[in-house]
Amino acid sequence: MHEVDGEKPIYIQIADWLENAIIDGTLQADEKVYSQYQLAELFTINPATAGKGLTILLEAGLVYKKRGLGTFVSLDAQQKLRAKRKEQTLSKLVRDLLHEADLLGVHKNELDMMIDAERKHRKGDPT
Amino acid sequence: MTVITLNQVHKKFSRIPALMDVTFSINENVITGVAGRNGAGKTTLLKMIAGFQKTTEGEVRVFDENPFGSLLVSANSIYIDDAMSYPDPMKLQELLHEFKRFYANWDEGLALRLMEYFEIPLDTRHRFLSKGKRSTFNAIVGIAARCPLTIFDEPTTGMDTAARNDFYRALLKDYIAFPRTILLSSHYINEMQDVLEDLLVIHQKRIRYHGSTSDLQEAHLIIRGTEAQLRSATSGKVVVSKTKNGLQEEWIIENDFSEAERSMLDRRGVKSTTVTLNDAYLALTEQPRGGIDDVFDA
Repeated sequence: MHEVDGEKPIYIQIADWLENAIIDGTLQADEKVYSQYQLAELFTINPATAGKGLTILLEAGLVYKKRGLGTFVSLDAQQKLRAKRKEQTLSKLVRDLLHEADLLGVHKNELDMMIDAERKHRKGDPT
Repeated sequence: MTVITLNQVHKKFSRIPALMDVTFSINENVITGVAGRNGAGKTTLLKMIAGFQKTTEGEVRVFDENPFGSLLVSANSIYIDDAMSYPDPMKLQELLHEFKRFYANWDEGLALRLMEYFEIPLDTRHRFLSKGKRSTFNAIVGIAARCPLTIFDEPTTGMDTAARNDFYRALLKDYIAFPRTILLSSHYINEMQDVLEDLLVIHQKRIRYHGSTSDLQEAHLIIRGTEAQLRSATSGKVVVSKTKNGLQEEWIIENDFSEAERSMLDRRGVKSTTVTLNDAYLALTEQPRGGIDDVFDA
């Protein structure tokens, strides 16, 4: 079972989980999304909470409803999410990275080298 | 549709107040957790809703009737707690068979499958069960009865961790298939929070909070820093609780911060994060004068 981290409200964790599935391609464009009852059962959470998580994606236009058929992934959902993640998550990580580097007195050259080394390491690693 | 309504309810036991000025209503098919410290009034509240106790003042309505002495409420509700007793000569199997005469939606097949899963022998009697197994049996009765109003007062007392998790999962699965109004009390917010839609917090005999679990969580922030930092960061804000964690102070505050104000906290070196539901609950039910440390600092 998926482990939920205790800090964020559960419905936001559900929305995050669905967004990740869209970003990594587990859920493709026009593919049917889990219903609120399926999500409730999957994560052992209240169906109303699961519904709130779905509503976040619906309001962001990442999924759409077909009457009587269910909820489906929007065509541009993956693209939208990538842009949003770059703007919010990635730029925050960069800020934190620079903050830590300043604290440790790591300057630009050294930081670039560390990033390059990590890149090489990841490329060599099949996972 | 509203299933339960309480309007300015007061309850006293020989002039000692047990509940004061309780007003709220609960909609059909909502799972509500009832939380509060020992002696806060949880059981009294649940028993009045089930029609086991009269109010001293004010009005309780369940299915649009006064539950006290109501056949309608009695036929459509079940109250599960650890004091349940059954006719002593009857074996568990016979009990499970007889329940269909009391509860219109009783599912004997489900009850028997749960008994097998939880390894409770059918040919024994209730009083011979261990404390944990007795609670589990009661919980099975509560689930399989599928009553439109199902009340569990601390159903997991004595159950081990695995049995607790299984109980909440079984309850949720059966609720998804057969929605009903459920009230669930526990000291442990953590174990029940995932299956809840709403939370009702009773503190010092009054309702302290009633609303969705996520709203309660989002209504608070936890901030960490030195006392001076936190004091200047929270001027004009409502501080709900203060604790010391090592050399750092940890304060839970009401979250009326804008995005700008939160990044301001960040720049001042004050770390702010969302609280867990349990932290929010603990903050609401803290004693008015600080925590346990104050007893020793006196």
